[in-house]
Formats: sequence, structure tokens, C-alpha cells
Amino acid sequence: MPNVVACFKWVVDEAYIRKGAAGALDFSAVDYKISEYDRNALEEAARCRGEGGKVTALTAGGPEAAKGLKDALSRGADTAVFAGDPAFADLDSSQTAAVLAEIIRTLIPYDLIICGEGSGDKYAQQVGPRLAENLGIPCISYIQKLTVAAEGGRITAERRVEEGVEVVEASFPVLVTVLPEINIPRIPGVKDTLMAGKKPVRTVKKEELPPLGEAKLKTLAMTAARLERNCELYGTAPEDIARFVAALQQKGVIG
Amino acid sequence: MAGIWIFAEKKELVLELLTLGGQLAAAGGGKLTAVVPAAEGDPADYIAAGADEVVLLSPLPEDMSLAAWLPVLAGEIKAADPEAVLLAATSRGKEIAARLAARLETGLASNCLSLAPGTDGDALVMERLAYGGAALQRVAITGRPVLATIPPRTFPPSAAVPGREGSVRTLPPPPADAVRIVARKEKERSAQDIAAAKTVVCVGRGLEKRDDLQLARQLADALGGEIGCTRPISEELHWLPDNLCIGLSGVQVKPDLYIGLGVSGQIQHLTGLRGARLICAVNRDPNAPIFPAADLGIVGDLYDVTPKIIAEIKKIRG
Repeated sequence: MPNVVACFKWVVDEAYIRKGAAGALDFSAVDYKISEYDRNALEEAARCRGEGGKVTALTAGGPEAAKGLKDALSRGADTAVFAGDPAFADLDSSQTAAVLAEIIRTLIPYDLIICGEGSGDKYAQQVGPRLAENLGIPCISYIQKLTVAAEGGRITAERRVEEGVEVVEASFPVLVTVLPEINIPRIPGVKDTLMAGKKPVRTVKKEELPPLGEAKLKTLAMTAARLERNCELYGTAPEDIARFVAALQQKGVIG
Repeated sequence: MAGIWIFAEKKELVLELLTLGGQLAAAGGGKLTAVVPAAEGDPADYIAAGADEVVLLSPLPEDMSLAAWLPVLAGEIKAADPEAVLLAATSRGKEIAARLAARLETGLASNCLSLAPGTDGDALVMERLAYGGAALQRVAITGRPVLATIPPRTFPPSAAVPGREGSVRTLPPPPADAVRIVARKEKERSAQDIAAAKTVVCVGRGLEKRDDLQLARQLADALGGEIGCTRPISEELHWLPDNLCIGLSGVQVKPDLYIGLGVSGQIQHLTGLRGARLICAVNRDPNAPIFPAADLGIVGDLYDVTPKIIAEIKKIRG
């Protein structure tokens, strides 16, 4: 059965981001997590590994991302590879894909690579397709269902497109990006966490890889998004509801 | 100036990108080239709407997906060397854009809300959302061309100007692709309409059981609108299909009126409706994060409030 690589990213938990002065973002109280979409990738990898296959969890990040390894390993992966280096702390999609591609090519036997549809922080939705290109393998993005053929060697996937679903096939090796609805990720138990601590982790340093290319995307500014509106509150008594509906009418949204 | 290229799979998306492409071309970007599947309408319509050149993708065999055009597109773009390539941020468009960026060894700004000519030597400066929608990220691309994807309905369709002239050429079919389509499933009609609906009634976790969707439907019917949901309703409870899920990674809606029933207002959900003209919320919890993001709010039980709203609308409508 297939050897599967599940890629994940250790990201800021956006629930802890506060709005600072003058529209700045305050990261001082943030916690970190495995990007939500990547939990689906890890779960899907564990699910379709079958008998005899091996799941490798792979990530790139700064040294602090090491905290995510045990979490990833408690979600069904057999082993983890960590491109961990201060130089990898804030890579753009092209750099991340290049680092992951180099590691997969040289260190990890694989048939199937699974990525989340995007990361929970920048949500650029690029690393998966770029990684497939860097490796020169087929890419099937935004899938909601994945089936490994019983005889092995290929997959069938349901890809979400604008007008519905395309059911597609491709032979190994292949990369897919998964939508959150593909599965419900497990919540690791105490036993999973204990076992995860005994699983092997290979850390790869910058020096072991070819020189990192220039970032192709630069962030000029990152400010708090404005979602606030001036909420007018109404009560629940019949006359309040009448005023509420009158307000809708006055704003021209009901005929 | 070597021009602006746009690419989208559907006619309405092409027309939207022509609006943006036209602005950028007028600001000094040179010629505007639209790449369009040949089945998507008359090339003369695109020329009238601002394209100087229309590049048609000849029809593909049933089992080939749009991404099969990738090597051909990469070659065409390399040869033409445009300043920027703008693609509609559909599933297909986003994948093709990211793979093109890899092949052309350039950068891609995904899901852009705005694009404008840059200063300080940047060809273009783009704005996009990050951190689930909590942050606005301004970005520039260091490679060439600048690649960007733009969500559907970010720009209005470009209006036709009679008498415009332009050229049309057709690309021959691409080589076979490693990904084969074996079946296609169309989604239900209602699901296709939610992104374009004028009124959206959205249900969240405050809904106690599946049967109660009826209540939301009655409100939607009274308003002539469509029904949508938050992620837990589709993904965990499966009460509604996934393509009715509103949010950053779901459908992004731009209705005149959005009413959330029992929706708490997680940032990822709010981001999916930031384009709504009027946002209303009904929720028992006065501290629900949807209230600060709403225009009108009712702190109350949706089971008490919704029938009253329906009755009041019917009263008005006579």
C-alpha cells in the first residue's frame, strides 16, 4: 500500500490575535497550532495508508515549529521530517515548496503527497500545487473524497469545481490538496500522545539543502482587517420586530 | 510595456477580469489579452469589453481537465512576457495560477481584493486577507510576470463598447494530461445560486435540530432568498451540503441582505460575507462576535424571533 507524505504547517492561532493601536496586529498573546486544513491532510494520510504503507509528516519552519511534530505524530503519522532552521521561519510559498520538494526527493520514498487546501495563516493556497510542479508529478487540488485503488498504483479523487464535482484518476506518484470536508480529524488521546513521543523525527538543517532562493512575494504591510459595523440592536417584543423589519424596508433590502 | 493577460474559465468571470485588466492596461500596462475556453461565448464580446487580443482554448476531450493547458499557457506567457497575469480565483484558476507561478519561477498573490500600480519599483501592489480574515496583507511580487488570482464578483463585469477592434487566435489542443476525468457531477440549482443571491439566510450552531432548517427556509422564502450555513452545519452535522457553507474556504457571498440565525460569527465565516450590503444577526448571546460585525442585531432566541420576523414581512407584503 502507498507511502504517503502529509505536509503540515505550524501556524499562529488566529483566535489569539488582538487588534493593537492604529490598526496594528498584536501577536503578543498568541498560541500556535497545526493549521486546521493540514489536520485533514494528516487524517487522510493515516486513513488511506492501509496495510504496509508508511505515513511521513513533513513540515518546514523555524526552530519553534518543532512543537508541532509531536502533535502531527499523534495524528497517525509513523515518522516526521522537520526542515527546521531559523532561515525557514517565514518562507513564501515558492520557498516552502522548494524546501519540501528537495526533502521529499532526497529523503522520503513516496507514492502520494497530501496537503491541506491552504494554510490557516496566509492561506495563499500555493504550496501544494507548486510542490507538485517542483517534483514534476500530477496535482489534483481541492478534493473532497479520495480512494486508493484496491490493486494499488493509482487514486480516484472527487475534485470540487465551480459547477459541481469532477471525478478524476491519476497514477502514483501524485499530489492532492484536500478540503476540510474530506474527513473529521481525530482528537489525539493520551495514548496517541505517548506513542507520538517514541516515533522517529529527522531534522534537516539549511546546510543540508541547496541554497534557498529569493522570496517571490514580499509583504509590505499587515494590518487589522476592518469587519466592524455599527450594530443597531433591537429587542424581541413584537413592536421591536416591527421596527427591525421597517429598518430592512427602509434600507431597501426587502421589497 | 508588454501588457496584461487575463484568464478565466467562464464568460462572466472573464468580463469581471476585463474590468480590472482594462484599468491596469490604461494605467500603462499596454495590450490586454484575454485567454478564454472557446466554448465560452463570442470573442467579439470580449473585444467589445476591452480585450485587444482574445486567445481561444480549443475544446478539450471529455476526459481532460482545464489544467491540461498548463504547459501551453506557460509557453505562451513566457513568449509574450506580459507585466501581469490575472486569473479568476476559482478552484481550477487557483491551481493553474500556482502551478504557472512555479513554472514561470515567479510570485503569485492569491485571492486579491484589490490591485493597483505600485510605487517604489513594484509593478503592482495587491491587498488580500490573512489569518482567517483578521488581517489585511499588502503584498508585491518580486518576479515577472506578476501573477494574481481574484475572487469571482470582486469587480463588476466590463461593459461593451461598440466599435472596438482586436485580434482573435485559437490555440491547438494541449498534449494528454496525467489526470483523467472519469465522471462529472453537477451541483443542485439552489447551491449554484447562493453566491449570486440577493438575500441569504444563514443558519449556525444555534439551530437545535435538522428539522428546524424549515424555519430558516420559511424566512428565506418570505424574503425571496437562499439558505446558507456555517461550517459546523455542513461539515460536522451534514444538515446542508458543503457548497452552501459560507466562509473564507467556502462560498463568499455578496448579497444585499444577510441574516444570520444562531450564527456566532467566527472570523472565517464573517470573512465570507464581508461584501454583504446589510448584515443582520439573531443570536441569544449578546457577546457573540457577529454583533460587532453586523448592521442590525436582535439579541434573542431564533425560535422566538424568526416566526415574528416572517409574520411582520408577510404583513408588509400584504
